[in-house]
Amino acid sequence: MSVKADNNEINALGTTLLEIGALLMVSGASTGRIRNNINRISNSFGYSTDMLISQRTLMLNIYNEENGHFFNSLKRTQAHGVNFAIVSGISRMSWLVVEQKWSVEQINTDLIRIAALPHYPRMLILTFVGLAGAAFCRLAGGEALDMAMVFLGSFCGLFIRQEAHKLQFNPYICILFAALTSSLIAGLPIKFQIGDTKEVAFATSVLFLIPGVPLINSFSDMIDGNLQNGLIRGLNGFIISFAIALGLLTSMLIYHF
Amino acid sequence: MLLLEKGIWFGLAAVGFAILFNVPTRTLIPIFIMGALGGLTKLQMLSLDLNVIISTLVGAALIGFLSILFAHKKHAPPPIFAIPAVIPMVPGIFAYRMMLGLINLAGDVNQATYNQILSETINNGLKVMLILMSLAGGVGIPMLITRKESAKNIRFRKKS
Repeated sequence: MSVKADNNEINALGTTLLEIGALLMVSGASTGRIRNNINRISNSFGYSTDMLISQRTLMLNIYNEENGHFFNSLKRTQAHGVNFAIVSGISRMSWLVVEQKWSVEQINTDLIRIAALPHYPRMLILTFVGLAGAAFCRLAGGEALDMAMVFLGSFCGLFIRQEAHKLQFNPYICILFAALTSSLIAGLPIKFQIGDTKEVAFATSVLFLIPGVPLINSFSDMIDGNLQNGLIRGLNGFIISFAIALGLLTSMLIYHF
Repeated sequence: MLLLEKGIWFGLAAVGFAILFNVPTRTLIPIFIMGALGGLTKLQMLSLDLNVIISTLVGAALIGFLSILFAHKKHAPPPIFAIPAVIPMVPGIFAYRMMLGLINLAGDVNQATYNQILSETINNGLKVMLILMSLAGGVGIPMLITRKESAKNIRFRKKS
């Protein structure tokens, strides 16, 4: 009977660990971080762990050397969307698991709480991303009118991206739409010769789309020696950049710059 | 432009991305400070006629060290602070010029201007790549020199 109970524990733990890994992967954690978090939790239960981590699938094998129980499974990850609240929450939880010797049920309860952590209000996100765009424009040497147009462009661009995401367009197409929208708006003063505008507004209006997390994770994965994941993340970032460039080019075509 | 004003813009850009990435609220003020300090370090080094790549590396390394300091204070992993804070230093204008150059290169071959566009595009493209590498590398420097798996094991003072 006790053997069966142990078996249940390893199955429950394995499923939970895969869930944690998949959540971390889609939320924008680097490969080394995913491996550390999962090792930390499974070590506190006394299991040895081996993982294969890739962008779309996780493979986990946990093994108990004392009674020979093992768990082996695969999990497919959902669509990627950066969410650092989850990365931070799981990291904190993994230390609590070690320090307070949590059970699998406690981990599952906390995991539900972390996965449901709220996003910032939509208007706040749109406003601050617009301000970030205006800040980029100012740093690149833009004046007040450029900054205002970039603010408006980023605001509407992100709005369009979120709406396209809701309509379940391909993520790269969402970015293409957003880049097209914001560069069309930021290009208006240049097209109609209003004020003393330069290319600065046009170029910085799409900067809110830059794939910062994929690119930085790509290089940190490569430094860690996870070359395969690093290359894949870098390629993802490259395709996003290409989508941005395509959006810019389309609006240049429309405006005949 | 005043240095202080530029610092505010760097910080604001960092906070904008932090909110887009849904960071915990307690980390927003540290991200503003880190973004501003990192950006100002880069600008200060640029004004001393240093290479843009080295300047970015130093700015990113400062952000890396600060991220570990704040990770201890605010109980969140270092990348959560570091990634939004380095994004204002991403070379957007260089990337834009590189893309334009690539499109021009794919167009008609005009012997008079082709070589100039080619060299400018390669110059901009290499800058983009090396700046991105130095951003990621600079942020990783503290972890590399302390040789710890987790920032939680890094101590600033020796144990008494």
